[in-house]
Amino acid sequence: MYSIEAVGLSHQFPNGDRALDQVNIRVREGSIYGFLGPNGAGKTTTLRLLLGLLKKQKGKIQMLGKSFEEHRIEILQNIGSLIESPSMYSHLTAVENLTVWQKVYQCPKNRIQEVLKLVGLADTGRKKAGQFSLGMKQRLGIAAALLHNPTLLVLDEPTNGLDPGGIIEMRELLRTLNKNEGITIVISSHLLPEIEKLVTDIGIINKGKMLFEGPLHELMRRQQEASYLAFETNNTAAALQLIQSHHVEAYLQDEKIILPHLPKPSIARLNQVLVQNSIEVYGIATVTNDLESIFMNLTNDN
Amino acid sequence: MHFIYSIQSEWLKTRRSLASWLVIVGGFFIPVILLSARLLYPDNTQKANLSPQFWEGILQQSWQLMAIFLLPMGVILATSLITQIEFKNNTWKQLHTTPQRMSTIFWSKLGVILFMMLQFFLLFNIGIYLSGILPALLLKQVDLPKETFPWLTYLKTSGYFFVDCLPIVALQYLVSLQFRNFLVPLGVGIGMLVAALFAVQWKYGYIFPFTYCLSNFFLLRGAELKELRHINIHIWALGYFSVFTLTSYVLYLTKKEKG
Repeated sequence: MYSIEAVGLSHQFPNGDRALDQVNIRVREGSIYGFLGPNGAGKTTTLRLLLGLLKKQKGKIQMLGKSFEEHRIEILQNIGSLIESPSMYSHLTAVENLTVWQKVYQCPKNRIQEVLKLVGLADTGRKKAGQFSLGMKQRLGIAAALLHNPTLLVLDEPTNGLDPGGIIEMRELLRTLNKNEGITIVISSHLLPEIEKLVTDIGIINKGKMLFEGPLHELMRRQQEASYLAFETNNTAAALQLIQSHHVEAYLQDEKIILPHLPKPSIARLNQVLVQNSIEVYGIATVTNDLESIFMNLTNDN
Repeated sequence: MHFIYSIQSEWLKTRRSLASWLVIVGGFFIPVILLSARLLYPDNTQKANLSPQFWEGILQQSWQLMAIFLLPMGVILATSLITQIEFKNNTWKQLHTTPQRMSTIFWSKLGVILFMMLQFFLLFNIGIYLSGILPALLLKQVDLPKETFPWLTYLKTSGYFFVDCLPIVALQYLVSLQFRNFLVPLGVGIGMLVAALFAVQWKYGYIFPFTYCLSNFFLLRGAELKELRHINIHIWALGYFSVFTLTSYVLYLTKKEKG
């Protein structure tokens, strides 16, 4: 079952700019879905549409198995969200801020201390939220999103403003929530390295179009497919001819012979052939595209 | 039930806010000035306390400054400030993703504003009462007012002023919900108030929604307003309140961006 299933989402701003174009999103229940894209790609617009903050123009949205339009309140009862910069009442303390939401969600009062402890803000006392650092504000935003024990968490760039330690803590917290409480998490970011260690599924969006969506291992398979071999020899022309004569697609690049990734025995055999033909092999390297370059390639191609 | 929870949540947001301070300070401002004057001039105070119309006199004195400028200005500020809490703190998006109907949010916010107004009227009346009796308790040469406190007159006067403020509340609420910039509702409110000061002298001034507080004050002083002889300004105020509130409600519900 999908926690989020949106089909054909399109959105145009009043000034005529097309923000989203036929975007489809499917978030598996129990997954951690990384929603990636450069700044201005359409991530926030998509999330705002999903949560009903923007009036839907085109497409269908199903959340937690139900139509969002028909079951808005029931669905929102089970969703925690943090969209862009954290929302909080700066003249109130952390506890008062959460009490504002506790009244609406009607969750137990002791839940306030629980979530504050969870995000490390239990000792802020009478300090007003307006005096919090950006990282503390972000954590208070997460606490508000978790207050009512949601089954789906939608977080838009939640690590903004966090220091490296804070980012690691946040990652651990989200992983624990997903693992122990079974919460489905959608987390958007413009930085792949920030979330690749956390997510199980990935959606990549750019210029309002979805470029890739699937499990992380699918993206990694593409990564493997995109890796190649580079041979460095004393006679590249002859070596290239020899390799091609063994029905291997190869070409020259920067004085190196580039060929697709091969199984280890095939690499050894090619090396043997070259040596037997008096070609000196200086180096054989496997060049791997990291996820970052795949992400960059996808977004740049688009 | 959801509405009650929503009201509780909205009420909590006003804690320590500028609007809540405005209500408390505004409520006691005029009574404190009057009390100071009455304490400084005990002979005049003693003379006034013996008057059979003492409480009516102090009521008029108190409402004089309040009705003409302070009350409408306070209502403009408080309504705009309460509504702007969401814009200022960037919390509309969080509020609109809570499991509440949009109508619940709209009415509970308006409910809190009206409740704060009631709070203001209550504090103001307590302030007037205290400014009437405190000199007698603090100064030996001053006796307690001879006249019994006319609760009904005070209640009726406050009730009318409350109703007469409602168009201001509704219009400020409408504008504040639509504009992020605090200066817009403030500018509209002050502009309308200044216009009302001129319009109140006009034959058809009663059609201008910000004039009712002023007109009511003139009526309180016993002025014979020819043009209002056949006009019930309180009904007009309620009419404007309904129209502005319904317009505001429709605009709020149909907003394309909700945070």
